[in-house]
Amino acid sequence: PCRAQPKKKKKVDVKKEQAQKERMKKRIKKLEKAAPELIPIEDFITPLKYSESNRVRSLPALSPEESERRVLLLKKWCLFKQKQDEAEKTAIKALVASQQEALKELRLESEELYQAAIRRDEGLFPFERDGPSYTPPLPGYDPPEGKCVDITKVYTQ
Amino acid sequence: DALLGCHRSYRSRPTHGIGKFKYLLPKEAPKKRKEKVQMKEISAGTEYQYGDVNIQMTSYDLCLVEHFAQYVHRLCNRLSIRVNESYAMPTKTNEVLFLEEKGSKMQLDAVLTTHQRVVQIRGLSSTFAPILLEIIQSNQPEGVHLLVKQHTEADFKSRLKSRPELEELLAQMS
Repeated sequence: PCRAQPKKKKKVDVKKEQAQKERMKKRIKKLEKAAPELIPIEDFITPLKYSESNRVRSLPALSPEESERRVLLLKKWCLFKQKQDEAEKTAIKALVASQQEALKELRLESEELYQAAIRRDEGLFPFERDGPSYTPPLPGYDPPEGKCVDITKVYTQ
Repeated sequence: DALLGCHRSYRSRPTHGIGKFKYLLPKEAPKKRKEKVQMKEISAGTEYQYGDVNIQMTSYDLCLVEHFAQYVHRLCNRLSIRVNESYAMPTKTNEVLFLEEKGSKMQLDAVLTTHQRVVQIRGLSSTFAPILLEIIQSNQPEGVHLLVKQHTEADFKSRLKSRPELEELLAQMS
């Protein structure tokens, strides 16, 4: 008398579970079909308020002396920058040349050391360096207490 | 009516192809199908060459970071180092709150945006790597944080949108 009902329950449960699993698999397949998207970068989207306004800035008229002074200054700056760039290029070439010479000498000295020097340095990466700051940190500065809250917009697909 | 409305032109007759005009219009570019964002293969590099290397530049100042990234890209072009890609990571926004001297309320100080640009290079030789690092360091602008590391799959995945539904379902399955 107690047998029939539990058996029915088991069958229905198993079928339901299988149907559920298949439905989940179908949903997973559908989601996986859609290709992953890159997060949109807010830097490259100009906010609307900058493109809607019609106001135009009117610059004052330049006197010929002023414009001549500016052009000459620009030319001097160009020359200065060119000299700087040339100096940098020659420095790079000198570095490479001296390195090659040192390696040649090392090769003549001992083959083993040369091979070891040529290999790549595993300890080089990761390499981190903070840029120079406009002002060095003040000694004995007591900053006010506070906290940083991360409010980046989280994009979900 | 149907006989008069018939516009059939026979191929031997001179009126063949009389109504055609599409050949006169300028050619439209074929519809661009959305290219799937797929991860490119990450090369491990040989003993004398590094594989994919990421040069990541982070700063609060957008212009400095952009210009520095352009400078690094052009430098690599000039030194004939192959640049795989040069992209931007999503910007992070931080709200800085500080505690007032007299009071318990947190006051809003500033909203800072952190920008990051990445230049990915391949085939950097082991002898030239320290020279390149030296050049980049000497030209580093103020406030720009430099990080040079090898490219991994996790780096690529951090650029993609998160899919919470898929992750939930996968967690339920296993």
